[in-house]
Amino acid sequence: MTPSTLTSRFAARLSQTTRVTRFAFTRVDGASVSVLAAVVYLGAYLWATDHMRFRSGATVSVTIVDEPFARALERRSALSFEPIALIEFGIGTLLVSPIDLAIGAILVGLVGVNLALAYLALVQPKACGIGAGTGVAAAVPALLSGSVCCAPMILLVLGIQASGALLMVLPWLLPVGVMVLVGSLVYVAGLVDTTAHPRPG
Amino acid sequence: MTRLSRRAILTATAVTVVVTAGCLGEGSGSYDGEDSADQAANATTDPDDSTATNLDESAIAETALPIADTSLPLEYSLESLRDEAVNGGVPKNGIPSIDSPSFESADDVGDRLDDGDPVFGVVIDGDARAYPQSILVYHEIVNDEVGGEPVAVTYCPLTGTAMGFSRGDVEFGVSGDLVNSNLIMYDREGDSRWPQMLGTAIAGPLAGASLEEVPVHWSTWGRWREAYPDSRVLTDETGYVRDYGRDPYGSYNPPEGYYAEDSPTMFQSLSTDDRHPNKRMVLGARPPAGPIAIDIERLADEGLLPVGVETTGDGDDAAADDPADDHEEDTTSETSDVAESSSLAVYDQRIDAGRLYLGDGTDYSYDHDEGTVVNDAEGTQFEADELPLESVYAFDAMWFAWVGFYPSTAVVD
Repeated sequence: MTPSTLTSRFAARLSQTTRVTRFAFTRVDGASVSVLAAVVYLGAYLWATDHMRFRSGATVSVTIVDEPFARALERRSALSFEPIALIEFGIGTLLVSPIDLAIGAILVGLVGVNLALAYLALVQPKACGIGAGTGVAAAVPALLSGSVCCAPMILLVLGIQASGALLMVLPWLLPVGVMVLVGSLVYVAGLVDTTAHPRPG
Repeated sequence: MTRLSRRAILTATAVTVVVTAGCLGEGSGSYDGEDSADQAANATTDPDDSTATNLDESAIAETALPIADTSLPLEYSLESLRDEAVNGGVPKNGIPSIDSPSFESADDVGDRLDDGDPVFGVVIDGDARAYPQSILVYHEIVNDEVGGEPVAVTYCPLTGTAMGFSRGDVEFGVSGDLVNSNLIMYDREGDSRWPQMLGTAIAGPLAGASLEEVPVHWSTWGRWREAYPDSRVLTDETGYVRDYGRDPYGSYNPPEGYYAEDSPTMFQSLSTDDRHPNKRMVLGARPPAGPIAIDIERLADEGLLPVGVETTGDGDDAAADDPADDHEEDTTSETSDVAESSSLAVYDQRIDAGRLYLGDGTDYSYDHDEGTVVNDAEGTQFEADELPLESVYAFDAMWFAWVGFYPSTAVVD
């Protein structure tokens, strides 16, 4: 296969992915699955990265640091940055870290679209059944990327002792998670038939 | 009131460890490794006999950090400690130190702290300060000035150790690295690396040098406030936002999560020893005769514990006697030696903390009603922090961390 053939096939697959993504959001069921998945994943991401907690004793208040712009750029871990605000909402707390939220938004968007396409691949596949659930599986490494922020806490939750190898792997979870999500998106998009009608029932 | 006769003090050594005279590498900052080998049977890194270091005298002369005259003892070489250091998952300063701390009076604390909440107390020249554990768990180091003296108040959640160090004009920060699960600090002057519990740099221009330690007492807010009503308390205006109402590792009140006694460690220890559960809190100290770990609950029950260390000078085998066997033994010339070199652990009831002194042969007893220490011969009473004896730096630590760094440690339990 020549490089030009590869490039053209890649461009065609990207075009197909874009088209399928648009198609997914033109359908109520596809958009609903996407939004629902995004909301659930956002909550999981904020919990895993220790940004959101439900607990008793929280008040209702907002605290903002003195120098939010400078603070927002300070790194807490490989791909996590300082929060600039603490929101207490009565039953819990939310730390607002702009860069972490942006990273989270990318992940949430990818997971939402992945699941919407996985749903469509299930109800409207080119090849029946192939690829269903791929998007869900692809979301797992991204969810685990929360450990990038606070490895010791995740280790505590999992009850495992940190080995040198594990500590080396943790910072890579987030970029690997993103890559897997993008790859999954492109793959699943190739399985969806945008011309077919939904199955009855 | 518990009374200990002179005979009992001489003979009822809670623990006896033979330390061959001259074993302590004076000035070299090392304990002899002979006894360690047996006691650290499960050591993952062999305690090193050759822990003497070549200090960079010019770096020490130039630093603004107050350096201790004598290096603190080590049971591993600097090289092996460096090799055992791991990254804890955060970059340098990823856990931000508090460099401009703000305080409020005890009266203004209100319900921000419960009486049972842990605080770390420091008193220098009448200036009493309390540092809530709930804040330090997120920052680990406070660069402060107490009683006019610049100090770094430090806390490592993974080893349960709160310690203070004189810092001159130099600030300390969190390196992000750990050894034996313990916080490795760095100084912002020359970037030397200082494991907190060792108080000694393992890397950088000041490698081998030790800091001057400042007593920090692990207490609870209710007791500290009562003992020091004029105390000022660190506020959560740290320059950062954190959910200070939630400890990411668990809870101390009651102990849960990572702080539960039998819970596993997150990182591999330098050595393991099952004489206590991993997270059992001990009062650790490094008196001249060798490291000791005193069970804090027992100290609270007894009020006062003599810790005998036999210095026979004849190279006899080490022997850790069963304390129960000692109570009725006759006094011998050897046990007199024990008394001469014994330490005295005292429970400070006011702040629920342990203190350690070098004994001078004087008999003391403990008045549980008053929480005071009584000189048996003269009948005079002393507060736990006012004994006319030489004080030994001691601090609370999780057992696994203490024995990891000091596998030759004697145990009082």
